[in-house]
Amino acid sequence: MRNKLSNGLAASLLAGMLVFASAAPAGAQSTPASASSMPKVGDVAPDFALNYFDGNDLKPVSLSQYRGKKNVVVAFFVFAFTGG
Amino acid sequence: MKALQQDLKRLDATDTQVLGVSMDSAFANKAFADQIGVTFPLLSDWGGDVTRKYGIYVDKYKAARRVNFLIGKDGKILEEQVDRDAIDPTKIVDTCERPKLKN
Repeated sequence: MRNKLSNGLAASLLAGMLVFASAAPAGAQSTPASASSMPKVGDVAPDFALNYFDGNDLKPVSLSQYRGKKNVVVAFFVFAFTGG
Repeated sequence: MKALQQDLKRLDATDTQVLGVSMDSAFANKAFADQIGVTFPLLSDWGGDVTRKYGIYVDKYKAARRVNFLIGKDGKILEEQVDRDAIDPTKIVDTCERPKLKN
């Protein structure tokens, strides 16, 4: 009787743990939301206006200034002084 | 950035301007450019507005992903390279050298 009861308890505990274990990874793994909003090939690239420092002054550069004139490679990098 | 610098003459020859962008300050980026011999502008997206606009802001690092966009004269995106694929820009240089893009 006692054995039966503890067996039943163990089974329900195990079942509970299995449910928890299978539910956990879904919550823990979040895909980066940013990936979905990245513009695709064929889309018009969002315009921007940013500065760079030429050693003397901050110089403004916008994407739109090249429209109809040049192709542009916009190369985003993570941090200065890391890698190439 | 070094790889793009190595291909700069070929890109220049196809009417292609190269712009680096990161969330570092303009001054740090200038020092970085000098250190690695980059002669094209390294723009500062301090605060990350443009990085977010392009959908490549990484919350965990509070910085951009490494992504190359090739944008045509009409303003449309012709090619993209993301993360590890963005280290070698050969695909973009090859696209620039395709005859129809030379005009």
